[in-house]
Amino acid sequence: MKMSLTVNGTRHEVDVRPTARLIDVLRDELGLTGTKEGCGEGECGACTVLVDGKAVASCLMLALQACGKEVTTVEGLAHGGELSLLQRQFIAHGAVQCGFCTPGMLMSAQALLMENPTPSADEIRTALAGNLCRCTGYSAIIAAIRAASGREADRADGSA
Amino acid sequence: MTDELRVVGRDHPIADAALKVSGALVYATDMRLPRMLYAKLLLSPIAHGRVAHIDATEALALPGVVAVFSHENAPQRLYSRYRLLPDQDCPEDEPLFAETVRFAGDRVAAVVAEGLDIAAAAVRLLRVQYEELPAVLTAEEALREGAIPIHPGGNLLSEFEHAAGERPEARGNEVTVTVATSLPRAHHAALEPHSCIADCDASGKLTMWSPTQSVFGARTVVADLLGLSYSQVRVIKVPMGGSFGGKQEFTLEPVTAFMAMTLRRPVRLALEREECISSTMVRGASTSTVRVTADPAGVLKDLEVDTLFDAGAYGTSSIDYVDMMTKKLTRLYRVPQYRHHCRVVYTTTPVAGGCRAWGAVDITAPMEIAMDRLAGRLGMDPVELRLKNLVEPFDRELLTGAELGDARIRECLVRGAEAFRWDERVQQDPGRGRYRRGVGVACGAHKNGMLSDTFPDFSTMTLKMNEDGSVALGASLHEVGCGAVTAMRLIVAEELGIEPEMVSVTEADSDLTPYDFGCYGSRVTYVCGAAARQTAVALKERLLEVAAVLMGRPVAELCFRGGRIEAASAPGEGLAPAEAVMAAKTVLHEDVSVQSTHQATSNPGAYSAQFAEVVVDTWTGLTRVTDFLAVGDVGRAINRAMVVGQYQGAVQMGIGFALCEEVGLDTAGRVVPGGFKQYHVVNTPDMPDVKVILVEHDGDDGPYGAKSVGEISVVPTVPAVVNAVNRALGTSLSDLPLTPAKVVAALR
Repeated sequence: MKMSLTVNGTRHEVDVRPTARLIDVLRDELGLTGTKEGCGEGECGACTVLVDGKAVASCLMLALQACGKEVTTVEGLAHGGELSLLQRQFIAHGAVQCGFCTPGMLMSAQALLMENPTPSADEIRTALAGNLCRCTGYSAIIAAIRAASGREADRADGSA
Repeated sequence: MTDELRVVGRDHPIADAALKVSGALVYATDMRLPRMLYAKLLLSPIAHGRVAHIDATEALALPGVVAVFSHENAPQRLYSRYRLLPDQDCPEDEPLFAETVRFAGDRVAAVVAEGLDIAAAAVRLLRVQYEELPAVLTAEEALREGAIPIHPGGNLLSEFEHAAGERPEARGNEVTVTVATSLPRAHHAALEPHSCIADCDASGKLTMWSPTQSVFGARTVVADLLGLSYSQVRVIKVPMGGSFGGKQEFTLEPVTAFMAMTLRRPVRLALEREECISSTMVRGASTSTVRVTADPAGVLKDLEVDTLFDAGAYGTSSIDYVDMMTKKLTRLYRVPQYRHHCRVVYTTTPVAGGCRAWGAVDITAPMEIAMDRLAGRLGMDPVELRLKNLVEPFDRELLTGAELGDARIRECLVRGAEAFRWDERVQQDPGRGRYRRGVGVACGAHKNGMLSDTFPDFSTMTLKMNEDGSVALGASLHEVGCGAVTAMRLIVAEELGIEPEMVSVTEADSDLTPYDFGCYGSRVTYVCGAAARQTAVALKERLLEVAAVLMGRPVAELCFRGGRIEAASAPGEGLAPAEAVMAAKTVLHEDVSVQSTHQATSNPGAYSAQFAEVVVDTWTGLTRVTDFLAVGDVGRAINRAMVVGQYQGAVQMGIGFALCEEVGLDTAGRVVPGGFKQYHVVNTPDMPDVKVILVEHDGDDGPYGAKSVGEISVVPTVPAVVNAVNRALGTSLSDLPLTPAKVVAALR
């Protein structure tokens, strides 16, 4: 079936199977492989993207449900080749290790910051509840998001 | 020494962080090769049985299906997915496709098709008849008389005992406690599911792209299995979204290689989460009974451990894994006699294999839970009891006589107890209401590399200087995600006095990069890092040789000063390294590059002491870890931010192992379906902000004194949490994980 959607500001016409998931279209049709699949059941959050500004697990959404909507993927965070503040804070705080959860973490954080520009640590934890990370223990990720939110961050490295 | 270091010891982002935050890094499942085919496995739905008949007619009739493979058209040769060296002693008991399935998740068949959706649809069209055999779901069952043999040699894969020392004469006032602790099967839960791509070109050369921890091991296994020379198999390590040991052994490489070689087209095999959990590797289930004896003052007199380890359906690394378990406790405690009796047993359950810290978690949890029990019996503070028995710096451990180096576990414990305010918090009343609070402590020991009396450790690297003074390190690194590449870059930059950005570092490619065992075994920083430093020193020597010829002076007169090569007798006269490299090319017709092999000569202890505070809801049985401190004897942090990050991540894994992570089986031996819905990994709201203290010092042979981090960091976490729960509740729980159901049952 033919459908159109806007991804990272560009409108695309795509021909999709009715059963295709949004993640399949993003990765396979549009080549936006930054969005990762870690579980295929909406439990790990690696595939999180923004659909009309809300964080969505793209493995749980049919592509057709995104018809006419605005989708933002991790590839859409940088502008003019320059990384966003959130991306830069992830790097600066050591919030990136293996990187497989990173795109989803960034998108959940982006959705949070768009809704609540100055979240508390607890609000960040709640917003990231659906994003699993096996490498970092989350502390550096939370510190990065706090830094990107403009609040003074806690010590990023957890040193006592 | 820290003061003199420019880049080592500071905070650096991981080298490819910019690619990762922009979604640009290409992992295996992001790759698309021309004419690439997609494979999908049919996994056994039963735990044990014979494949009586496979009807692939319907599957093959589906447009786009290229081939169906099973035991009927694949080599029957048995192999070990664990083999690294061709002559290594490992059980060869696994076929590419099973005629006798030995666990629910065993490979029965594979469909290869032009698209993934076609392959997935075709797998559902395969009709397989099984003749069921009795399932054997626990190690105890497997050893029972009359139990059906899972492999021709029977179910006892290995039984051995390690013993050393002598028990002092009993005085009659000793205290002995005996504690049995069970650890369940666990899933590594790397966020990236297992995946692999193989291609075979017209000349018969096989190339594989795999997020593996050892390209040379993958090459060995694949080439030996398929009857190819090692030069006909090239394995390229691609970005890896975490491993934790789950990608150490070669689960997908052999079958993917076979399919690509047969079809002469690129084949991609990528698993879904449930398939990863059931069909790749788990941390094996084990029960260890610790019998520890101390005198009334708390000084250990005797330590005996009995371990029953469930290897699952295939042997893989389980014998070596359990052998490694043995060698941890005498690295931690001084004890006059130690004895460890081990049985490694086949069952018809998911395959056990390498898992972060290779047995150290599995034996340290039982030991440290027993130590708390002993402290209770002696009426002694758990920290005090441990301080009476922990090893001292430069001890030799009892079992193998190995030197432990500048072992700072006592310092870890003392500094941690002070920072955590242990003395005060351990006295606090857990409360009598719904919520009970408790603190727990545990210590752990691990190693630095694989050097032992029976195994070598070494690493070879090359380093060349470019015409602008930047350098390229050629090394078989396998970045698992925690910064091996970055660490090597920092070490070389430090040694050469250049910026890290001036150092490029390769990852492993079995055709192009020098030999290295792989990234596991807590050997990367200690052994590979030392190799990187040694290679940088060799490059400096080579630069001096070149400069000596160019300047017409003896090498002995030359030295590095202010980033230039100068003669001691003629300051101001000299060359920049980049000028030497250019002149070497144009005047001497030579390249400035070196190759160097570092041979490990020591394997000191790595140590950590950890402190947990928990709050247990006695109504629901739910435990929350509310505070956590990890203290690590790291020798020297090469990249401080990543060392701290590894510790914090390890604690997340350990809390999960203690409280909620378990690969559950139903009564028929099938993994309870549901992926991460059933297998609970600790998420953000349930994680405390883990504090980390690094104990740094000179005194060991690693680069700048650095020791291993990635595995030791998880070793004491499980017992620290369990001991805190038991203190909060006054229980003696040791059947892990401490699920709400078990906690509530214990309180009844």
